[in-house]
Amino acid sequence: MRAGLAVAGLAAAAMSIALARPGGHLLQAGLFVWILLAYVSCGLLAWTRRPESAFGRLMVLVGFGASLSTLAWSSNALLHTVGLALDLLVVALFLHVFLAFPSGRLSGPARPLVVTAYAVSIGLQLTVMVLGGFGPGNLLRVFDAPSVAEVVHGVELVTLSVLLLAGLGLLGVRLRAEPRAVRWLIGSFALGLLSLAVLLVLGLFVIPGFAQVQQATLAVLGLAPVAFLAGLLDARLARASVGELVLALRREPDDLSPCLARALRDPTASLLYWLPQYRSWVDHDGAPAALPSSATLIERDGEPVAAITHRPADRELLEAVVAAVEMVIDNGRLRAELRAGLLEVRASRARVLEAGRRERRRLERDLHDGAQQRLVGLSLRLGLLESRLNDDPAARQALAAAREEVATSLSELRDLAHGLYPAVLSGHGLAVALESAAAQATVPVRLEVGLDSRLPEPVEVAAYYVVCESLTNVGRHAGASTARVEVNRAGDVLVVEIADDGVGGADTTSGSGLRGLADRVEALGGTLRVWSPGGGGTRVRADLPCG
Amino acid sequence: MRVAIAEDSVLLREGLAALLTDAGFDVVARCGDAAALLSAVSSLGPQVAVVDIRMPPTHTDEGLRAAITIRDRHPSTAVLMLSQHVEPALAMRLFADSAAGAGYLLKDRISDVAEFVAAVRRVAAGGTAVDPVIVSSLVARRRPDDPLDALTPREREVLELMASGHSNQGIADRLFLTLRAVEKYVSSVFGKLGLPATGGESRRVLAVLLFLRQDQVFPG
Repeated sequence: MRAGLAVAGLAAAAMSIALARPGGHLLQAGLFVWILLAYVSCGLLAWTRRPESAFGRLMVLVGFGASLSTLAWSSNALLHTVGLALDLLVVALFLHVFLAFPSGRLSGPARPLVVTAYAVSIGLQLTVMVLGGFGPGNLLRVFDAPSVAEVVHGVELVTLSVLLLAGLGLLGVRLRAEPRAVRWLIGSFALGLLSLAVLLVLGLFVIPGFAQVQQATLAVLGLAPVAFLAGLLDARLARASVGELVLALRREPDDLSPCLARALRDPTASLLYWLPQYRSWVDHDGAPAALPSSATLIERDGEPVAAITHRPADRELLEAVVAAVEMVIDNGRLRAELRAGLLEVRASRARVLEAGRRERRRLERDLHDGAQQRLVGLSLRLGLLESRLNDDPAARQALAAAREEVATSLSELRDLAHGLYPAVLSGHGLAVALESAAAQATVPVRLEVGLDSRLPEPVEVAAYYVVCESLTNVGRHAGASTARVEVNRAGDVLVVEIADDGVGGADTTSGSGLRGLADRVEALGGTLRVWSPGGGGTRVRADLPCG
Repeated sequence: MRVAIAEDSVLLREGLAALLTDAGFDVVARCGDAAALLSAVSSLGPQVAVVDIRMPPTHTDEGLRAAITIRDRHPSTAVLMLSQHVEPALAMRLFADSAAGAGYLLKDRISDVAEFVAAVRRVAAGGTAVDPVIVSSLVARRRPDDPLDALTPREREVLELMASGHSNQGIADRLFLTLRAVEKYVSSVFGKLGLPATGGESRRVLAVLLFLRQDQVFPG
């Protein structure tokens, strides 16, 4: 089929030259042959390379369509008439091929524009001929009204010219949206449309330079396929990058976005996943992300599973990239889902801990203002009673016993309240609270607190518990003689470090209370680390975000 | 002896007032918050103020700040702070560079009327009162080559009572010893701990507390 078309192209070229020879139109014929051969050969090449694209076929059609008008040079009346009738078809064909780049399909306003161009170039041309235009030899002449025909022809030329300029506008809109590599290609198409429009308008007047303008226009139009060939090569390069993408994806990278960015040659490109259970788009890290309107959706069973966000790109390249990504998307989606779940768990753990902290603080206040206060009042009254009592040894003894009982209850309540919430912390801040904790530790503590302002209370509480729990561990397990506590702010992070000179080898896995501390710290987005080499002391370090 | 009371719980405030009145004090002011206390102290000039550490409006550090302000601006008014929590750091804040005429007791201590009244008198007279719970936790701590190991049990008792702010006479009364015997124990303790035995009874409290604490604190 394609070989046949190639032969037909050569035959058409030979025919054009043969037709031109008697009338001395050789230069013009040469230019038509140049267009014919350029479009047909480039079209066939594109057809071979990208059979799925209609663009190659369209170019072949343009090549042959251009040579049809040379039939008008024929001395045979029928061929001459056909040539005349199809003389301006090539204008619509050029418009069609330039607007259909690169898929070969028309979309949006380009479609009615091209359809109108076809209708005008055939319909009005036939009308002109029916009205007796283009002189003798026109077999379609029905009426002899050359002046009316001339007006209609003028309308035809101007209309086509306007349609070409509208096409030029569409190309201009596309130019901004296209990747840089394709822009100069679109630019060469635009030049072709512009010169054709100028040529059509000039055709209305009889001016001396018309032949030169026509030749220049034909030359420019013939150059477009060359530009397209270069574009095709560019597209082949892009397809090679899809090959690289497939290879890169086979290595199962954790994050697909960098591979996508390379393949699409768009550093902003990234992959988002749709997680139906969260009704949310998330990025590679599982963090919620907004879906831009320009994204390309990847669907499965009619449901979106992922989306590629990118700058406007070659559609076929995009399709190839989507096809490549589709194969490996499930793993990435599972990972993103896992991370989103992890984020959610972390957030809910933080909420639970924070709710617990508030509740404990409330309970401590209730205890302080309620039970503790009442018991203190009770013991005060017992004391007063005792001091006012006459010397009745039995009654005094009973009162003293009751007072002891209340004192024990108060002491237990005090421990309970302090265990619930360190009131000194909200009242006096981390530095004072740590000083008290250090003073009550079982070994002397070197305490260094470099803070010049209060921190969010959850952070202070976490830091306080890290220090208290660590100092308790020092007393219980470490066999240490001294400990060192340092609390400093490094930017937006509060660094809490407790070190002792004990035996080390602390059990960091379970039951040591360290797990609970780690939970508390991690819930705030921080980290807790423990170094406890045998014989080398123990060092606990918590990094708490406090920005 | 003229005393001002600052305590937001009416029950406790009136109880305290009754207790101190019974003991022969002249209760000149009964305040519900720190601002009322400060104005009462500056206008009435009591010899001692008994102050709850947690008071309105925020129930955080108003009491402590008022106490520090009084020590700063009205040195003739002694301050006894009452708390429901054991917070050595707050006691040390109150003592700052002198423990004379200052005290920090748990509210529980009110129930032992005689002991409590004695503490108020001691503080009012320029002495010190430190809650025994604070002292015992300091004494109990392990130290490298603990110098406290060199003390006899009796010397330990004397040390704890000194740290709580008791005078030699007070120690003698409690331990049923003669004043001379107590003085002997005191100088022995100071010698074994390597503390300079200079300064009166009111100054030794802070020295002993700081020795017992043996923390190095570097405020930021």
